[in-house]
Parts: sequence; C-alpha cells; structure tokens
Amino acid sequence: MAEVGQALELPLIAGNKRPGDVTNDVMGVIERRPSLLWWGGLLLSVVALLIGLVAVTYQVATGIGTWGLNGTVGWAFDITNFVFWIGIGHAGTLISAILFLLRQKWRTSVNRSAEAMTLFAVVCAGIFPLIHLGRPWLAFWMMPYPNGRGPLWVNFQSPLIWDFFAISTYFTISALFWYVGLIPDLATMRDRAKTPLKRKVLGWLSLGWDGSFRTWHRYETVYLLLAGLATPLVISVHTIVSMDFATSILPGWHTTIFPPYFVAGAIFSGMAMVLTLMLIARKTMRLEDYITPRHIDVMCKLVVVTSGLVGLAYATELFSAFYSGNAHEQFAFINRATGPLAWGYGIMVACNVLIPQLLWSSRVRGRLLAVFVISIAVNVGMWFERFIIIVTSLERSFLPSSWSSYTPTLIELATLLGSFGLFFTLFLLFCRFVPAIAMAEVKGVLHPHPRPPAEADGTSSVLAEVKV
Amino acid sequence: MHQMTKPKRYWMTRVDRDAPAGVQPEFPTHPQADALATRRAFLKTAGFSFAGLAAADCGSAPQFALPHTQQPELTPGRGYSYASTCGACEAACGLLVTTHDGRPTKIEGNPDHPLSGGATCAVGQASILGLYDSLRLTYPTRGGVRTTWADVDAEILAALGSARQNGRAVRLLTGTTTSPTTSALIRTLVASVPNGRHVVYDPVSSSAIPDAYLVTHGLRLLPHYRFGDADVVVSFEADFLGTWIAPVEFTRGYTARRRAGDQGVSGNAHHVQVESRLSLTGSKADRRIRVAPGDVGHIASHVALRLSMLAGAPLPWTLEEAAVDSAVLDELTERLWASRGRALVVTSSQDVGTQVVCNLINQLLGSYGTTIDLDRPSNQRQGNDNDLQALRAELARGDVAVLIVAGVNPVYDLPDSAGLVRDLERVEHLVSVADRLDETARLAHVVCPDHHYLETWGDAEPVAGVVSLSQPTIRPMGDTRAFIESLTAWSGVPQSAYDAVRANWEQSIYPRAGAADLFSAFWNRTLERGVVELTPTVAAPLVFSGDGLSPVDRVAANAGGLALVLYPKVAMRDGRHAHNAWLHEMPDPVTKVTWDNYASVSPATAERLGVSDGDVVRVVSGDLMVELPAFVQPGQHDGAVAVALGYGRAGTERFNNVGPSWLQARTREGPVGRSAAPFVVAGDGGRRYDGRRITVTKTERRHRLASTQEQHSLAVPGAVAPIGTSEHSVVQETSVADLGHGGHPHEPHPDLWPRDHQYPGHRWGMTIDLDSCTGCSACVVACQVENNVPVVGPDEVSRHRAMHWLRIDRYYAGDDDDVTVAHQPMLCQHCEQAPCEAVCPVLATVHSSEGLNEQVYNRCVGTRYCANNCPYKVRRFNWFDYPREDVAANLVLNPNVTVRSRGVMEKCSLCVQRIEEGKIEASRNGVAVADGDIKTACQQSCPAEAIVFGDLNDPQSRVSTLAAGGRTYRVLEELNTRPAVQYLKIVRRDENESHG
Repeated sequence: MAEVGQALELPLIAGNKRPGDVTNDVMGVIERRPSLLWWGGLLLSVVALLIGLVAVTYQVATGIGTWGLNGTVGWAFDITNFVFWIGIGHAGTLISAILFLLRQKWRTSVNRSAEAMTLFAVVCAGIFPLIHLGRPWLAFWMMPYPNGRGPLWVNFQSPLIWDFFAISTYFTISALFWYVGLIPDLATMRDRAKTPLKRKVLGWLSLGWDGSFRTWHRYETVYLLLAGLATPLVISVHTIVSMDFATSILPGWHTTIFPPYFVAGAIFSGMAMVLTLMLIARKTMRLEDYITPRHIDVMCKLVVVTSGLVGLAYATELFSAFYSGNAHEQFAFINRATGPLAWGYGIMVACNVLIPQLLWSSRVRGRLLAVFVISIAVNVGMWFERFIIIVTSLERSFLPSSWSSYTPTLIELATLLGSFGLFFTLFLLFCRFVPAIAMAEVKGVLHPHPRPPAEADGTSSVLAEVKV
Repeated sequence: MHQMTKPKRYWMTRVDRDAPAGVQPEFPTHPQADALATRRAFLKTAGFSFAGLAAADCGSAPQFALPHTQQPELTPGRGYSYASTCGACEAACGLLVTTHDGRPTKIEGNPDHPLSGGATCAVGQASILGLYDSLRLTYPTRGGVRTTWADVDAEILAALGSARQNGRAVRLLTGTTTSPTTSALIRTLVASVPNGRHVVYDPVSSSAIPDAYLVTHGLRLLPHYRFGDADVVVSFEADFLGTWIAPVEFTRGYTARRRAGDQGVSGNAHHVQVESRLSLTGSKADRRIRVAPGDVGHIASHVALRLSMLAGAPLPWTLEEAAVDSAVLDELTERLWASRGRALVVTSSQDVGTQVVCNLINQLLGSYGTTIDLDRPSNQRQGNDNDLQALRAELARGDVAVLIVAGVNPVYDLPDSAGLVRDLERVEHLVSVADRLDETARLAHVVCPDHHYLETWGDAEPVAGVVSLSQPTIRPMGDTRAFIESLTAWSGVPQSAYDAVRANWEQSIYPRAGAADLFSAFWNRTLERGVVELTPTVAAPLVFSGDGLSPVDRVAANAGGLALVLYPKVAMRDGRHAHNAWLHEMPDPVTKVTWDNYASVSPATAERLGVSDGDVVRVVSGDLMVELPAFVQPGQHDGAVAVALGYGRAGTERFNNVGPSWLQARTREGPVGRSAAPFVVAGDGGRRYDGRRITVTKTERRHRLASTQEQHSLAVPGAVAPIGTSEHSVVQETSVADLGHGGHPHEPHPDLWPRDHQYPGHRWGMTIDLDSCTGCSACVVACQVENNVPVVGPDEVSRHRAMHWLRIDRYYAGDDDDVTVAHQPMLCQHCEQAPCEAVCPVLATVHSSEGLNEQVYNRCVGTRYCANNCPYKVRRFNWFDYPREDVAANLVLNPNVTVRSRGVMEKCSLCVQRIEEGKIEASRNGVAVADGDIKTACQQSCPAEAIVFGDLNDPQSRVSTLAAGGRTYRVLEELNTRPAVQYLKIVRRDENESHG
C-alpha cells in the first residue's frame, strides 16, 4: 500500500521543472543537431521504406498475383496490415480525446506523439486498401462523385464504402485535432525561430497565436469541441472496419461481437504501440522527466484492461460458436484453434491474453525493459489476431473442395516491412521537426510550487531504481 | 479565266508544314510502329485477314461450304454453324463448328448425329485449339528443308515406282481410319504396288477385342456396344465413360438408361466396375470391386462359370479360388442372370483369353443382338497388333523400302522406341504425314503435313451405317495438304479432297443410302445435316462358337509386389493432343491434378513406401526406368501402380513458359510429364498395358503436382467437426427406395422479407443432375472455349488460381479401400440473394432482371471481397495478365465474350452472350424464346445430359419440371442465398435396396 501511496504522490513530470525548463527541454530536441541514434534509426527506416516502395511498384506493375493470395484466400497480409495499422492509430485518439474529456492529466506527456502515431498509422493503413486492389489506379471509383456514367454511384451497401468514409473522416479529424493541439507549440517555435523565413512560416502555421487570454480561451473551446467530435470516432472507425468482416457471410467473420471486439483490440494494440514508442522516445530523446514510470504504469494498466476485454472476446466467440449449434460456425472456430494455423492462434492467445497478465504485477510494470518486451509481444499478437481471423476463415470455408492455404510472398513481406519503414520514417521526422511533447499542455500539469531540492532528489532516486 | 486557287494545306506541326508537299504519308506512322505489334494490333490484323479470307472463300467457291441452316447471305459478326465430324479421335462424333467471320471459334456436338447426339468430350472441345497452334508444320519438307508439294510428290512417286519395279515392300502405317474415302484411297494405293500393305495400329491398343471375336465368331471385328440398352453393366477395367473407344456415345447411352424412370431414375440400372485403379467409370459404379492388375480375366472366368451353371450347362472348368469374395461374385452373377438380354459385360483387357471369356459371358447373357450389335460393327478401333508386330519384324530385317506413316507417332507410342528408331533409319524412304515434327516425323525423309480436321473435306463411318461428312471451316492456315489429296497424288490421279470425297460418296455411299433424289440433292442434304444413316447390308449373322474355350488363370500372386497399370487419361488420352494447353490444364476428373502424369499408389502402398503426393519415385522394370511424382489414390488396389500414357511428348517443353513470369514464379523443365510408353509390353498377343512387375523406390526429390483440389473428402479430418453430414449436405444422395416414396418436392423457405427481385420476364436457371454427371469435364473445356478463359499454367494452378469458370468438385466417401465418389460441377450459382452483390463497393457485380448475377468487368476494381464472400468459391480473379502461350491461339477467342484484363474478377455468366443471342433471334422472328433454344456451352457439350438450362418462370420448361421434382436440392441452402442453379441428388443403388 505504501508503494501505491508513494506513486500517487509522484508528480506527473519529474525533475522539478519550471515552464521555462519544459520549453528548453522539448525544443532542445528539435534545435540540437540530431543524435547518431536518430540518424541510424532514420537510415534503417528509410531503407525499409524503400524496400517497400520497390515491392509495391513491382506489384502494381506486374499484378497482384505477386502476392501469395489465391482464389480461396482473397485477402491476407493486405487487410491484416490494414486492420493492424488502423488499430494502432486508435490509442492516439483515445489518449488525446477520451482521456482529455476524462481529465486524465497524465495524457499530456504522451498525447502529441500518440496523435502523431495515429496519423502515421492511418497513412500506413490507408495504403493497403489502395494497393490491394486489382486495379489500384481506379481506386477513385470508390468515391461517390458526380460522373457521366449514368451517373453511376457506389454501392452504399458495401462495408468497403463505409470503410472508405470512416477512414477518411478519421484521418481528417485526427489531423485537425493534432494540428489544433499543436498551435500553441508552433507559436513557441515561432518565437524561438532564428531565421525570418522560419518565423514567417511558423507564424502562418500558428495562425497568429498571441498567447492572450482570448486566444487561449478560444483555443481551449475548439480543442474541447474537437475532442468531443473525435471521441465517437474511436468507437466508430474500428466498428466499421470490423463490419468488413461482420457483414459477410463467412463463418469466423460473420459475428455480431466484432465491433466491440475490434474496438477493444484496437485500443489494446494502440496502447501497446504507444508504450513501445514512448519507451524508445524517452530513452533516445532524453525525455525521461516527461515520460515517467508513472505514465508507463498507467498505460500498462490500460493494456491489462484491454487485454482482458480481448480475452473475453476470444472466449465469447468460442462460446457463441459452440452455443449457435451451427456446424459451419463451429467448424470455423475449431479450425481456427486446431487447424493448420493453430500455431498462429497460439501466438495470438499467448501474446494478447496470457503475456499481458504479467502487467498485473507492479514490479513488472516498473521494469521498463519488461514492459517494452510485453508491448512488442502485444503488437505481434494483435497482428496475428487479424491474420488469424482473416486467413483461417477464408482458407477453410463452406466447400471443402476449395480449401486452400496461404503463404506470403517476398513482395508481401517487403510491403509489410515498407509500411513499418514508412511509419518510423514519419515518426522520426516528426520527432525532429515538431515538439514531441505538448509543451503548452505539460506546462499546465507542472507542480505549481516546485519542491525543494531534497524532495526532488527523492524523486530522482525513485527514478534511479527504474531499470531500463 | 479565273485564277485557280491553291487548295489550302493544313498542317499539324511546323515540321509537317515545312516538309515538302507530298512527302508526308497519309497516315503518319508511329515512330515505334514496328515495336507495337501488340496483341490488339495482332488481333486487328488477324481479324481483318481472316475476314478477308472468309470473304474470298465465299466469293470463289460458294458451292463448297453450306451452313447448317440455310442463310440467304452471311452477316459479318454473326456466328455460323457448319456440320462436320470431329477428328480429335476415332470416335468421330458429329460436330457443328461455329465460325465467326471465317474462323472457327467453337465446336459443338451435332444434335442430329445418332451416336454422339449433340455431345462432345473434353478432347473434342479442346481440339479447336490445335487448329491455331503456331508450331504446326505449315509446309512440306524434304530432308528437313522446306520444299514444294510437287517436289515431295515426285520423290514419293519415284520411290513407289522403283518399289513397284523391284517388288520391294511398301508399307502404309496409320491409325484407325474411320473415313470411307480415305480407306478406299488407301486400298487403291496399296493395291497399286505389288508388295504393298496397310498396317493399322491404335496408339492405345484394343486389338484383343477383334482377336477374341476371331476366336468366338470367326470374324475380326469390334462390335458396337449399346450401353443405352443395358440395365446391368459389368465392366472389367474398361473405362467406357472416360476413354474407352467412344466415351461420348457410351456416356450418353449409359446415363440415358439410368435416367429412364420416374423422376429421372431407373431402379433397374446397375453398374459394377471391376478394376485395379480408380477410373472415371469406376467412380460412377454402383459397386466397385478392386482387383489386382491382370486379375480381371480370372474373375470373369468365375462369372462365366457361375453363369453357365445358372444356364444349366456348366462349363467343365475347375478354377482356383478368386481374389474376390465368392458372395460378391454370386450376387453379381445373379444380377446379370436376372437381367438377361438387358445386360452388357465389357472388358478393355488386352488379354485375348479374357476377351474370349467376356464374349462367352455375353453369349450366356444373350447380349448379342440386344446390347451388343455385331451386324453394325464399330470402325473405331481397327488396329491389329499382330500386323504391327509383323511390320516391326520387317523393319528390323530392313525389308521395307517405302514406309508412309500417317496420323500416328510410333516412335512415341510403341515400346522399344530406340530399336524402332534404328530400324526406321534403315527404311529407304520414310514418309511422314504428321501435323508437326513429332518423334517420328523427325526421322522422316519427307514430311507431308496434313490439314487440321477443321481445314479439310473428309468423312467418317465410326459405326457401320452412320456416315458423316467433314467440311472445311477455314482456309488452310499453311501450305499443308489433306491426307486424302496426298493419297490421290501418290496413286497417280491427283484430286482435290472435295472431289475425292464427293466421288467416293457418289460411288459407294449414295447407293447404300437408297435415296430417292439425285446425288447432288442427297449430297447437299447430308452436308447440311452432317450425317446420314444407312441401312446396313446384313450379311449372314455371326454365330458364337464355344469350342475349346478355356478359363483365364489367376495372375501368380506376388506378395507385396507391385504391378504397373498404364492407362490413357481422360484429357490426354494417347498423347496426340499433348500440344493442347487446355487439355493439360483440365483437372483430371478423378485426381484433380493438372499438367502432369504421376505414379498413383493406394494409400496403404504409399504408407508402405513412405511416399506422399509429390514425392518423386523411381519406377523400375528390368532396364526400364522412369521417375515420376507419386500420387496417393484412394480406391486403388494395393498391388497396382497406375501411370498415365500420353505424357512426356517431345516439344511439350514449350509449356515451361506458360503462365505469368514474375519474381517467384516456379518454372518447370523438360516435357510435360514423363512417357510411360516404354513400359508397354509388346508380346505376340498384342500390346498389354497392365501387369508388368515393377519396383518402386522413393527418391529424395519432390515435384509439385498442380492440383485444383487439396481436400478430397467432405468429411473433415481429425478433431474437427464434420460439416455437410447433416441434411444440408453439399452433396446429397438418395436411394431408389426413397424416391419410390415420392421424395419431398422442393419448397422455398417462408420469408418475412419481401423479395428483392421480381423477375417479370425470364428467370434463368439451371439444374445439374449429379446422378448423371460422370465428371468427364467436357463442360469444363467447353466453358473455357466459349468464354475465353485463359490458361494459367501449372505454377498458377498449384497456387489455386486456376481460372475455369466451371469446375467439377470431386469428393470421396468411405475408407481408403472402398471409396464412393461424387462429382459435383460447381459454377456461379446465380443466387437471388447473392452475397457477392452486397459487398462490392463499386457495383461491379449486380443482379439482372432475369436472375443472372452479372459481373461488370470494366467497373471492377478488384477488391476480391465478392470472392471472399462467395460461399461456393466460384469467382475467378485475374491475378496477372494471362497471355496465351501461343499468340496464334488468340484467333480462337470468342468475339462475343470480353477478354478480361488483369485485376478484375470474373465468373460464370450462364453464357449471357448466348442468352442475348437467343433473345435477339427470337425477337427478330417475332416469337417467344422457346425452351431449349438457348443452351449454355456446358449444357451443349454434356454427354450425360446432366445440365439443363432454361427459364424458371416458364412452368413448362424442362428446367422448371426438373427443379420441381423430388430430387432437387440447392447447395448450402441453409445460407438462404437462393441459387438459380439447383442440383438433383445422386441416387445410390446399393446392394440392399435393389433386393428390397
């Protein structure tokens, strides 16, 4: 109990910061020359991105047959990656919008990066529905636009159309939300800019922010409104993504539990991804004071909760299949758990349900390396969840004559790698050019009365215990 | 005088303007015009060329070709049908060849033909591709160099002349010739040289049958089997529904007989197949008895002995105990005896003794005159292995001066080809009449390429009294010459094929026809109809003589030993069509493997040898060796290793590049499959295909077999719950007894929702009778031809990307030894509540007001969601551009069907182009579309008449009547997709119910 009390006592931001320190710390990351670590990371990411680009170019030029798909398994890596990345994005919105509305002040340290992560994840996600088309150059036909063909509209019955709207809305709101949150920090950057051009551009971007009460007031209002607008998106986007499957007739896809199941999974995977990124960022960008063990601890708790939800969904799925009395349904789930991809199902259950249970222990939550490993495991597990849902249902559906299997080709592996390359390239560039921590918001949660040095030492001794 | 104004000169670019007048070409050519010889450009050029050719044909020789239906004139763009005769094999089925603007694009069965009756087989359907094979020889050669026909003829006439003078041997080696004209000309040619002889052999020999008739009836003949008159059929190894003699005619008769009864089911019909491998015919049998290879003779002897006891005149035979349970034999015999006069026993054994015993059985059963016609014998197998053996001896002695090899490929077909090659090299004048440089033609001094059968005049009399004509449907694509013309030239009186055929008809056919009108009228009538039936001149009836018949001994048991069974595969037969990509890609009806032959072993033997599908095994017999991938075949005898003939043909290396080429494409090397012909046993009694003792050893290598089906049974293995075992089974079965109780007519489920679709006019639908369907796959290829379905190659097939719009699913039930087989043609079900339609984001798949699920290719963006959501998995995606392996094959494309580009989904359209054509034709004539006017390509080709297409809104239509019957069900009905394609249940005629 003492530990808990101590944790509650811990300030959100360590290091006994004053507002000016925050600005210097955060802006320092941007203003300093980038570290070798950053260059190394960028190099790796760009190489991965280029490999992906080559793969996608080759695939578009040659044909979608360069993927391992077949007449039975029409989707595999493509839609798995799509759902995976969309899921990753969810934590950003959750942190920035829902936690904002719930007055979770700890979010201030992570919300900027989480939102950026959302944007980049949605960009990565958006690529897959595009390139998975047989004729990607005609993707604009998915848009309902006035045309001379009748006019010929899209099929509003198709969940893929809902998807199109959901994701474009999501991207727009997320980008807007991120940008609005960035305005005060852009103003800070403008004020610190050294060249007139930079000052001018940042001046435009910060929309003439003057830091007056009225500006702050309107800013806060807009931000609150946008948070209110973004909140339903957290639920709606993945609900609609899940309908790509739930509205089909395929056993293993056609499940009413999918919307909440997918949303929980999305938040789960997103939280894990935020953890992964934050742990890397605080280490590489020396932001230990801003992203403290307390932040990690809170996010770990969210991971445990969502892991429980996901586990419940897995169990419910199995139970409803059993209880349905529908042979096709029962077969789909027995096949999922014991069929040719049973190993994947094992990975999924282990990584998503079993391993995160370790986070019940505060000692595990305090060991950042352990948390990091667990967060990676969850990312892997959640990727497999989507893969298992998609592929096991397709490869063994109604007619045994058409049963098939799926193996990814090099092109698909390269495309997956490329999407990570794109994500990390964008993220690393973001860290370099945009304040990775919302300075204005962090300043709002600083301890109003900085403690005397002795207490501050006590805090740092707590930090020192944390093993990284 | 007014000043003449200079005409204005318009210019496009300044370069144009500044160039001197008259220099610019009227149509400026693209700088890279030569490099732009694209498919489209080629098609355009080719299309115009052939339209021109056709026009030339019509102009210069209107007396030649007569359309099946009299037309006042030819309308460009319309398809016209010409009656002809199939030249793909000796069965010589009647054809209607559809031509579009002067090029044949599709062949259909001629409904007027008394034997094939409008049906064709897969090989016949595919044979049209052979016409457009760019690797065919297009000119005569001498010494491997192009030459003229005059030169060739001079050389051959000189050779014949010198042989005539010196009395040297002239031999003409051909396959079976069903053409009366060709036969007459061959007789003339052979008679013109003192030491001339015509030797006939069949690549897959049946010579034991005529040999046996020589023993029992004193005449060497192949009888005409009438499966349509037989209730009880017992077949010893004969794959009469798949490859044996005339599978189309036999399938028609067999299935028609089984359908004769209430609800299309005959309760009397029963079929027992005694065989060592699982053949297509065996897969349809009501009772299948597995025996060791070569054991059928002994079992037939047991049956004969039992029958003779029942007949009251027991044979004085003492037989070793049969390998089959004697109760089974008793039952079989009793069933046969009870159906005397309605029973037929056949065997494809190449053992004359077995054939003799089979004749004895048929004699005891009174089959002669009822189910076996000796008065109108068949001409479909005329090969005589004894003659062949004698020829080989002559060749070995170097006695033959002139050898003309026509239409056969002995170096490939016959065992000991090395010896044959040595002997052939010693022949002074080796002349080949082949369509390409095959294994034999390569050795020939002179090659005289024959026309494709669609390019030439010809005739056929497959069964005595049924004579059909072939007419050319295209001007020959190269400088080839009909074999008939070559024969006339070499006989010294060159004649055109038309003249030769017409003259022979005037001389020999017309008098037999006893027609009242003039010959020209008779000729025109026959040409238009394609076939004429003549009353046979009945000679003295043949009498069975049972003197000195002896039983066949049991093959010496060889514990654990393996014996080879060589068989012709349904698609590849004897290998003469090995250059046909459609046939290579057609999944074998039983194994579902494409693009290969393989060594089939039973599951128990596979386990013993430690092999699984695709493990390369070494098959050794003496100094013969072949390495083949293994294939585990349930239902096969444990002592048998079955290998298909017809593979490993020279030149099939061309197919190594078939299919898309990309980073991870797996290409193959060498010919398609491996030849098993060396393993044929050539003995005094004829060539034999089974019984050779072999050893099989596993190698470490693997060879990926391109199979279209991975899961072979409906029962799901292991701990997984079986699906399809409940009342909502995918394949549903019934029994004769159940049908007697009326069955349950199909009633739609009540539904609270209003119907989405009203179908005010037509409502197209289809029924498929699973009891009739034999799985022969004629429909698969017919659909491929009709709908421009591409060939994708073995790698794509093994990646489950075969494009066939219509596939045949094959399921096994029972254990590994005793399997029951179900064939289920599966195509787009045209659901009323189609799962695919709802999910397409761009409305590329929509429901028509006539009940068709329509795929709009140019709207499709390729999300593949429709295919994922299709419970029948019938949608086919263009993963790549699938170009034709042979660019000339583009000429076979049906102009009424879009060629799909990469990235779009496609699937069965119920031949919408035929529906529209039928509707337009009816509306042009101001009548309603009559039932049966519109036939889908699959329906048209089906020899089993299992597929019926029509208007479900018309209660009188055949499809409505069938759909309303008690045998109807819909696949996956529980999904409430309401398919327009309905299936009729398989009828299981098992032992108990037939007694009950």
